[in-house]
Amino acid sequence: MISLQNITKKFKGDTVLDNICLKIQQGESIAIIGPSGSGKTTLIRTINGFVIPDNGSISIDGKEIKYSDKKNLRQMRKRIGMIYQLFNLVERTSVLENVLAGSLGRYDNGVGLVLSTIGLFSKEEKEKAMELLRFVDIEHKASERVDRLSGGEKQRVAIARALMQNPDILLADEPIANLDPKTSQKIIDLLLKINEEKGITLLCVLHHIDTVKDNFNRVIALKKGKIIFDGKISLLNKTELLSLYEIEESEEFEWMAA
Amino acid sequence: MDGSLTINFTKRLKIFFTWSIISAVIVVAFKISKFDIFSLITGFSHSISLIREMFPPNFSRFDKILLVTFETIAIGFWGTVFGILLSLPLGLLSANNISQGLPYLVSKGLINFFRAVPDIMFALIFVTAFGLGPIPGILALSLATVGLLGKFYAEAIESIDKKPVEALESTGSHKLGIIRHAIMPQVFPLFMGYNFYLLDHNIRIAMVLGLVGAGGLGVELFTQMRSFNYQKVSAILIVVILIITLIDRASAKMSKNIIDGNFMSKQNKFINLMLIGIIILVSLISFFFIPFNLSEIFNGIPRILEFLRDLFPPKISEIERYLYLIIETVSMGITGTILAIILSIPLGILAARNITHYRVINIFSRETSNFFRAMPELMFALLFVAAVGLGPFAGVLAIALHTTGFLGKFYCESIENIDKKPLEAIDSTGAKYIQKIRHAVLPQIIPLFNSYNLYLLDRNIRASTVMGVVGAGGIGFELIMSMRVFDYQRALTIILLILITILIIDKISSWLRKKIT
Ligand SMILES: Nc1ncnc2c1ncn2[C@@H]1O[C@H](COP(=O)(O)OP(=O)(O)OP(=O)(O)O)[C@@H](O)[C@H]1O
Ligand SMILES: [Mg+2]
Repeated sequence: MISLQNITKKFKGDTVLDNICLKIQQGESIAIIGPSGSGKTTLIRTINGFVIPDNGSISIDGKEIKYSDKKNLRQMRKRIGMIYQLFNLVERTSVLENVLAGSLGRYDNGVGLVLSTIGLFSKEEKEKAMELLRFVDIEHKASERVDRLSGGEKQRVAIARALMQNPDILLADEPIANLDPKTSQKIIDLLLKINEEKGITLLCVLHHIDTVKDNFNRVIALKKGKIIFDGKISLLNKTELLSLYEIEESEEFEWMAA
Repeated sequence: MDGSLTINFTKRLKIFFTWSIISAVIVVAFKISKFDIFSLITGFSHSISLIREMFPPNFSRFDKILLVTFETIAIGFWGTVFGILLSLPLGLLSANNISQGLPYLVSKGLINFFRAVPDIMFALIFVTAFGLGPIPGILALSLATVGLLGKFYAEAIESIDKKPVEALESTGSHKLGIIRHAIMPQVFPLFMGYNFYLLDHNIRIAMVLGLVGAGGLGVELFTQMRSFNYQKVSAILIVVILIITLIDRASAKMSKNIIDGNFMSKQNKFINLMLIGIIILVSLISFFFIPFNLSEIFNGIPRILEFLRDLFPPKISEIERYLYLIIETVSMGITGTILAIILSIPLGILAARNITHYRVINIFSRETSNFFRAMPELMFALLFVAAVGLGPFAGVLAIALHTTGFLGKFYCESIENIDKKPLEAIDSTGAKYIQKIRHAVLPQIIPLFNSYNLYLLDRNIRASTVMGVVGAGGIGFELIMSMRVFDYQRALTIILLILITILIIDKISSWLRKKIT
């Protein structure tokens, strides 16, 4: 279980996260929505420690994250996979090498650290990486260089890398914002499949309301750093949705079509 | 294991062979240039005792030091001015978008030739023709400048935006009008930047031209060194380091302003004007130090012709010995480059602000590479010969340190420019610092490094051909000896061998660079 208590974050005096309290059970799948600049990215980055809150605390399975303790932070990050809008892969190396990098957190001392630093991984890790590539359906490109892949293929590789960590939690920040609609649906299906089959908690920042409606039960809506809605999407009525995005009724038609 | 994992067999074999050849070449190069751990350790302790002998510095002839300092700056300044004047027409004529035919071929050939010949070799030849003093130094620098600047100019012109040129052509303008109004405005800032860079570079080179008698600080340094007056040597060195650092800073400031387009902008006006003022002042003062005796120059011309006549026919009696020395020279370049790479990787990592988060360490590493880059390698060579004795080992150390300056800076800049996104992704898997460097930083920069390392290898082999001038190994020693005893036919053989080597290495290196990118 992830629990956020009174999380507040300011950037240069602007409050970006305002007293956020949140509880997430293991295995849930949650979509986070909100207008640009509402703090969605900042919120999920507090969970893996890339943003350090000014106030409040976050605990995972009862253990509080100590942001100043590097070792503690690393061990916690090991359990949390992260998926990015721009995939964040190492472009010049192969698909397999990128996926193997997901296992680095497991080798943090002794021979394992030395070998993984040289770039040598055990046969088991390689087999696991191949299995994951099969799972995300891109096994045939294992030895291809990443910069030769399409966007959708890259996102599959990034997902395989995150799964390589054996995570309990998967954070995804607009994972489909750079993909075409058809590929987007496939990636969302893949993330939900991971959530269902492996029981991995999924937190997914999304922009497209239809995608959220069709696929997620629980939705968290942020506005100006505050949670203004948390629950089933069906309970979020149209006016509320519109006010969330500050859209005038007259523009509604256009917006819904988008 | 899956089939797609195993790269096919022939590819592996190819990789294996390539690496075997590279390793074999490196091992042989280390052997020939007499580099090993033992000599490194003794060399280190000798260097320490040399430094100890240098203290306290003896400034008793400060007036003399000041005098030669001014002479050095004057040589650098006038060499640059004449070099610029020569480079402008040659650069224009060798740009393939505005010139073709015979003028293009001739100017391009001249520039390439001037670039291939090491600057100190020009100095050596001009000293033979004009006698000791600053004049041969200025002439040598002018020609060497054309080799660099002519190429820079031509490349700048070749990469201009063609639209304004076309627009002017459609008005029926004369070619000179097009050059003046469509091309010059585009390339002028770049040219200015290159000019300041060359001035900086030439003043540094002027400090070592004296090693062959072409005037400046080098003469005094070499004299004191040979009479083992190490306390006077250290006094000169302190002045050298001071000037080099000042000029390095000033030129970095100027080029940055020019490249950013803020040259003479409101906030930079004062400092830019001040620097230009200093340059003008120094150049005026320097007039007094250069005996610009036109008759002397004219007298030299017949001597140059005589010298050229005396070169023929080349003597090939000792060709085997020279060939061995050529191999030694190339080995020195290779060994020095490898050592520099080994030294520069940690230096670059420590200097890069995005992966090493300690300001003090960043600044210290950065300044170290600035210093190594600014010190001419012949200066290092002179010191290492005093510390570890004559021979290729001293040359290797000199090349290694100077190159470390270049590579350290380059590595640092490429690390600072990497894509940060994958770095964060690897961070979020819980990886350690060293793993992040290996899996997120190195894969991004190694391809860049390879091509730059090759470029420096090429440059270093060229540099090692003249290390012998101060006794630091390689073919250069034979060259200077044959010049000293007026055996010009032998000298020609050596010069030709050096030029052929440089050409071959240049071809190999550009072929390899094309292969890896
Ligand atoms: N490192 C930072 N330094 C300063 N300000 C920041 C930083 N990170 C975020 N902000 C600011 O915090 C606010 C919230 O940013 P955040 O990226 O969390 O929004 P978001 O909801 O993810 O927006 P988007 O939908 O555009 O991605 C923005 O105003 C942003 O400018
Ligand atoms: Mg965002």
